[in-house]
Amino acid sequence: MKDYELVVGLEVHAELNTESKIFCDCKNAFGLEVNTQVCPVCMGMPGTLPTLNEKVVDYAIKMGHALNCTINNICKQDRKNYFYPDLPKAYQISQADVPLCENGKLEFMVDGEMKTVGITRIHIEEDAGKLLHDESFAGSLVDLNRCGVPLIEIVSEPDIRSSAEAKAYLETIKSILQYIGISDCKMQEGSIRCDVNVSVREKGAKEFGTRSEMKNVNSFSAAVRGIEYEAKRQIEILENGGTVIQETRRWDDPKGMSFPMRSKEDAQDYRYFPEPDLLTIVVDKKKVEELKKQIPELPNAKIKRYVNDYSLAQIDATLIAEDMEKSALFDSCCAMNKCKPKSISNWILSDIAKYTNETGKLISETNLTAEKLTALIEKIEKGVISNSAGKTVFEEIMKNDGDVDKIIEEKGLAQNSDSDFIENLVKEVFANNEKSINDYKNGKTNALGYLVGQCMKASKGKANPGIVKETVTRMLES
Amino acid sequence: MKIDIKHIAKLSRLKIEDDKLEKFEKDMETIVNMVDNMPDVDGPLTLLDEENPMTLREDKAVADKFKREELLANAPEVQAGCLVVPKTVE
Amino acid sequence: MKLYEKTASELSEMLRNKECSAVEICNDVIERIHETEDKVGAYVTVCEESAKENAAAVDKALANGENLHPLAGIPIGIKDNISTKGIKTTCSSRMLENYVPPFNATVMEKVNNAKMTVLGKMNMDEFAMGSSTETSYMHLTRNPHNTECVPGGSSGGSAAAIASGEAVLTLGSDTGGSIRQPAALCGAVGMKPTYGSVSRYGLVAFASSLDQIGPLGKSVKDVAMLQSVICGHDRRDATSKFMEYPDYAAALESNLKGLKIGVPKEYFGEGIDAEVKDSVMKAIKEMESNGAEIKEISLPSTQYAINTYYIIASAEASSNLARFDGVKYGYRAKDYDGLVDMYEKTRSEGFGDEVKRRIMLGTFVLSSGYFDAYYKKAKRVQNRISAEFTDAFKECDIIATPTVPSSAFKIGENIGDPVKMYYNDVCTVTVNIAGLPAISLPCGKDSKNMPMGLQLIGSKFSEQQLLNAAFGYEQICGGFDVLSKSL
Repeated sequence: MKDYELVVGLEVHAELNTESKIFCDCKNAFGLEVNTQVCPVCMGMPGTLPTLNEKVVDYAIKMGHALNCTINNICKQDRKNYFYPDLPKAYQISQADVPLCENGKLEFMVDGEMKTVGITRIHIEEDAGKLLHDESFAGSLVDLNRCGVPLIEIVSEPDIRSSAEAKAYLETIKSILQYIGISDCKMQEGSIRCDVNVSVREKGAKEFGTRSEMKNVNSFSAAVRGIEYEAKRQIEILENGGTVIQETRRWDDPKGMSFPMRSKEDAQDYRYFPEPDLLTIVVDKKKVEELKKQIPELPNAKIKRYVNDYSLAQIDATLIAEDMEKSALFDSCCAMNKCKPKSISNWILSDIAKYTNETGKLISETNLTAEKLTALIEKIEKGVISNSAGKTVFEEIMKNDGDVDKIIEEKGLAQNSDSDFIENLVKEVFANNEKSINDYKNGKTNALGYLVGQCMKASKGKANPGIVKETVTRMLES
Repeated sequence: MKIDIKHIAKLSRLKIEDDKLEKFEKDMETIVNMVDNMPDVDGPLTLLDEENPMTLREDKAVADKFKREELLANAPEVQAGCLVVPKTVE
Repeated sequence: MKLYEKTASELSEMLRNKECSAVEICNDVIERIHETEDKVGAYVTVCEESAKENAAAVDKALANGENLHPLAGIPIGIKDNISTKGIKTTCSSRMLENYVPPFNATVMEKVNNAKMTVLGKMNMDEFAMGSSTETSYMHLTRNPHNTECVPGGSSGGSAAAIASGEAVLTLGSDTGGSIRQPAALCGAVGMKPTYGSVSRYGLVAFASSLDQIGPLGKSVKDVAMLQSVICGHDRRDATSKFMEYPDYAAALESNLKGLKIGVPKEYFGEGIDAEVKDSVMKAIKEMESNGAEIKEISLPSTQYAINTYYIIASAEASSNLARFDGVKYGYRAKDYDGLVDMYEKTRSEGFGDEVKRRIMLGTFVLSSGYFDAYYKKAKRVQNRISAEFTDAFKECDIIATPTVPSSAFKIGENIGDPVKMYYNDVCTVTVNIAGLPAISLPCGKDSKNMPMGLQLIGSKFSEQQLLNAAFGYEQICGGFDVLSKSL
């Protein structure tokens, strides 16, 4: 078999979390009763007209800034014409030749290396409704609630070379959307979807292979599966001496297969033309700049900062930075300058991550605050409590909430570091363990651990283990 | 100019009966020949009109403007609050 | 003189002077509808009951000394492509035969706020596509001046009702001449306002970038009064212009002194009936002798206007009419096999032939491989036509042309020849292409005793000046004799 290279381009559709729809003042909401978030405008009744929601333009420009795009502050909207029952006007108001944002790039980490993917364009458009199918019913049902929900479509250059890169690209896009606060990114609600363009070519070839476009990819993991399946399918065709045809395919995730929808020959002719019901969009250049200032520090910059300023490992820095809540907690804790960033990172990626994974809660939905976490870590670092006592405090905060100092006091978790107390403790243990002392003196150094353990046991875990170890060692040597 | 009337009808989701096909074809050709006579105008064409910018709408939602029954009252077939169409093959 | 024969401004005054009541006006016009509607066929729907209720409410309000709009209680007919809440809005199409909008067009809100008496919905060419009202799925409308002839179109019902006295005022819509052409053929006054001055919200779209609602009536003052009611910025229409709109009727002035009238030679050439040319030139000369200055001007791209118009209008129409698919509202075919068949049968049975032709023309000019050659080219020519008007208005205040190349033709005469029918719009389409305001005024009758029209064109948002010029001409004529004598 020849050595093949995968070429992938992604089109991400993200629903924007505006209050109203893109072209009418219906509520932009998910999960409500069928056909209740609808009005004559989004239902495409004769005579109705669209009015463009200002926030949709602002949000798309923000994403454009976040992806280093050129902002076309003078642009227009176009009609994309096709018949389907979920599209009440029989055209989608979108953008054709002049998108709001274009020529950007996105940098992200894959397997410890920096990858750059070009962003062809970002444009604004309206979502379609939903078709509901039921085995027992001969027809299909149409729910128009989603009609007119604002979308941005982010189109990448065919710069992606593996499914892992595709996944990392998608994760980064998602975290940016969340960072700038323009999309809820709820996969299960379909608020981010993507179309995947896949082709393969022999390694080293200059020309791209014939691509297929896969639709209906509703999760990032499905995108990975779809890409891998499609690459394998195309390579098999080529290996068997066949040729890949340009077509649109539908990804069936439960079946793990893609199926042809239509070939290039009967490709839809969308008959794009400028939307005559809307005038030219002109965004003041000053406003474009103001929107740029509103972009917060994005994951990439955070990763760099965490590695350079706090000496976190790349992987840890990435895991924290890609999650807006984790990084917010991390940044707040670091800002207090009371404990080691490495300790904060460990807590966030172990105990806290475990807790949120198990409960399905967001950090913000728990009792934990940056102040409490910092106080907790500080107590451990200063030796006031042991690491395991720290876990008890953490559990108590998550369960019943409360002040770190109070929990330590009420539960009697504080360590005893008093040298007289510990010396007496050691003497007591030594008196009962002569054999171990002799073992140690005969070179069996692991007897040290045993003795320390006995001391800790005798103190009911409250003696400061560091000082105990130090005292045991000193007294054995003397 | 010869017009592929069947293709255009298909794109338009229209069905032209066989007995009317010839007449439509002839009419369309006459009309297309009429509109074909256009001068070449030089210079770039911009479909953008910066001088006449659009006022955008403030992002405010208005609840309960219409009842569902009112909006579906004209629909040929309704079931369970939904419009009904022939099964769409996915 | 019967009440239905009077102008809106006369009736308004009589109401205020208590010389008649709104109920009397309403009843008189309804009686007239009963008398002549069989011969004219101007209406698709007549709303007798609600009209009478409104008239009674107006009388009550006047008796209580309420300060009402000058047009309160004046009967008005509404073209059947303007959405009326709770009243069928059919666009004279089988597709929307039973469609009842759940909302009012913005202009209807304005008409209702002024407490005008809405008589019903006026017949039209199907989806406003036609120049004779013969493409209506409902029935024919006849020209009140000769019922063998067409009333023009597409607002044929709106114009015929003015000439027959079946309405005092009407609203029409004008995409390529659909108010002015029937106004001319029926001897009425009809104005197409500047694009953006009247909200299109609720007007069932034909060609969104060209459509404009406008008033028809018996006099310039009536038209000015109604225009003041319907104009204004509307948040629901992004193409509507935000500005101060004057009270046109209040500021109406007939002085023609110093008015520079441009006369474009291209509108008086081949294809224009000699009688029409003569009467329009005579009207212009009369305005000159009353103080206006005449300037010969040139608008050379006029020859491409029809082509440009049919490309742009049909392209937009093909998209605007795609929503009629038998899913949400309107007609659905009875028997079909699957989704695509349902679409095709519904649309084929629901639309008439002219609508199908325009949809297909529009689909063709937008389709892959033809977009640049047709749509884009037409947009360039549109820009050139607009620029020529802009230049012309540097030399003159208004432009005078015929409205229609000839007077009303016989029913059935042109219906088999689409292109011949399209040339009826040759003098009017340029105005829509350039987004300008224009008014058609009666300028005498030809040898067949049929009305002819004088078209005055203004620069953008110059309605006041345009109406003043029209008013000046009306004064020279000693008023217009709009009503048919032969019904």
